[in-house]
Amino acid sequence: MAAGVATAAIVGPIGYLWQDSLLPDTYSAMTMGYADTGGGPSHREHGGGRPVSELTVAAGRRADVSMTMVARFEGGRYTINGTTPGPPVLAARGDLVEVKLVNDNVPAGVTLHWHGVDVPNAMDGVAGVTQDAVMPGESFVYRFRADRTGTYWYHSHQISHEQVIKGLFGAVVIGGARTDTTALVHLYSGGKHTVNGVAADLPVAAAAGAKVRLRIVNTDSGPMDAWTGGPYRLLAVDGTDVHDPAPITGRSVRITAGGRADLEVTAPARVQLGGSPSIVVGTGAPAVGRPSAVVDLLAYGKASPVALGPVTRTFRYDIGRRLGFVDGRPGNWWTVNGHMLPDLPMFEVSAGDVVRMRISNDSGEVHPMHLHGHHMLVLARDGVAATGSPWWVDSLNVADHETYEVEFVADNPGIWSDHCHNLKHAKEGLVVHLMYDGIATPYVIGGRNAPE
Amino acid sequence: MRKTYRILAYVVAAEVVVQAIAIAWFVAGLGNWVTGGGVLDNAAIESDDMAFPELYGLIVHGINGSIVVPVIALALLIVAFFAKIPGGIKWAVIVLVLTVLQGQLGYLGHDYPAAGGVHGLNALALFTVALVAARRAPAREPRPAEAATVGNG
Repeated sequence: MAAGVATAAIVGPIGYLWQDSLLPDTYSAMTMGYADTGGGPSHREHGGGRPVSELTVAAGRRADVSMTMVARFEGGRYTINGTTPGPPVLAARGDLVEVKLVNDNVPAGVTLHWHGVDVPNAMDGVAGVTQDAVMPGESFVYRFRADRTGTYWYHSHQISHEQVIKGLFGAVVIGGARTDTTALVHLYSGGKHTVNGVAADLPVAAAAGAKVRLRIVNTDSGPMDAWTGGPYRLLAVDGTDVHDPAPITGRSVRITAGGRADLEVTAPARVQLGGSPSIVVGTGAPAVGRPSAVVDLLAYGKASPVALGPVTRTFRYDIGRRLGFVDGRPGNWWTVNGHMLPDLPMFEVSAGDVVRMRISNDSGEVHPMHLHGHHMLVLARDGVAATGSPWWVDSLNVADHETYEVEFVADNPGIWSDHCHNLKHAKEGLVVHLMYDGIATPYVIGGRNAPE
Repeated sequence: MRKTYRILAYVVAAEVVVQAIAIAWFVAGLGNWVTGGGVLDNAAIESDDMAFPELYGLIVHGINGSIVVPVIALALLIVAFFAKIPGGIKWAVIVLVLTVLQGQLGYLGHDYPAAGGVHGLNALALFTVALVAARRAPAREPRPAEAATVGNG
């Protein structure tokens, strides 16, 4: 009798936690978790509202840049128009970009997410939230205005962990010069570290003394350091120019997963990229060891005033880790504000809000946090205020035991993912959503859609 | 039930041995791969990829440690409730506590490498305790006459 009670006392709670963690076959991002209003007015009942599919750029205007991208799975790689990385999207500032994505033979479906480009919500490419995955034989047309210059990239947001590591990505450069070099750094499945898809140094022709802008994109799932021997400057972070960047020597620049850094080097220079091949500008520059110090972007460049206005909502995004079940699988899972998938907060905002967010990490591992559709201004780290150039990010490296204060303006209505860009972690549930008042999604996660 | 208890406790001890073999195999493979020109950086750590076959050692270690061993330890405790072995429940609880501690030390090692060292030490403690627990249970089911004596002891 006592033995039976003791057994029930152990098996009962575990069984309850297990069944409570099971996800339905399909569910809407709108009904996930619990509402967090951040101190602002609560939304009306979800379910009604303008569908995200209507949030597009004005129809009728002719595209300035028009491309077709055919996605295939061949030889263990995902390719676009037969190559990986896919073709770069090169646009001038203000151009209307139109990309027709065609799925030739990817059985699980594909989408394209424009990482760092603040596109209208219907164009964001998150399967199950802003569109359905594009199945074999189907197509989807993405249209957005290239209204901010800078270095960005695109990648699939359907089964993103597998599709990105196996090659479904490419560069987006807005307002680039002909002499710029873009470097997509990627570790393919198979163990090859590559730059622009090649497992060898990337040569850049340049006369001694010439200045070259390198647009470096970290497409992997962990942070990467870039450095070079001579003095260099960090011109832009995540597509936003640094105000008055000073020369750097003896320090490396840390680029988080999904993040970008534009470096200006003087030929000859060898830019080293973590454990990947190097970018060799001109000839004769030697390799140097990785500097132990990293440029602190809180204090890099010159300050310039930014006024976002009074804060109307304040959220916290505290990342932790604990034992439990996610969809019936036991493990040591990520938590947000103490909750595990699917019981995660839904950050409710209204158009025009100025949002303050505290992102902290006590989970034992680094998390590259990526907010879709918006850029965040970093105000402080661990209580130390930013004193350098305004530091705008879409992908923020939040190391273990770090706390960041960021602010952004809610000026792009829709339903936006705010997730870890270690795509394995996203798959394990480190994803929340930013939800605007009066917006609804007709799409569901599950079934054909696995945004991860 | 006593036999089941004994077997489960021995399986926990055997699992500790498997864990040691798996992780040592992985570390040896990693060294061999790096020597052959493989590059280990954060991108490689975060990749799911099988760059060298000994990575299966790490996968086995992870699945065993986070799921299989805790489930066996829990089963041992539940069996202990019914097996009526002197001190059986106590030793099963110790096995379970050391198992949970072992998992937490493993994860904590990502953050504080010293915890990884304690993880190795705790493995030996868990191995020993599991053997002690197994040896508390008689190898054969007691005859009814001696069952009463043992049961009260």
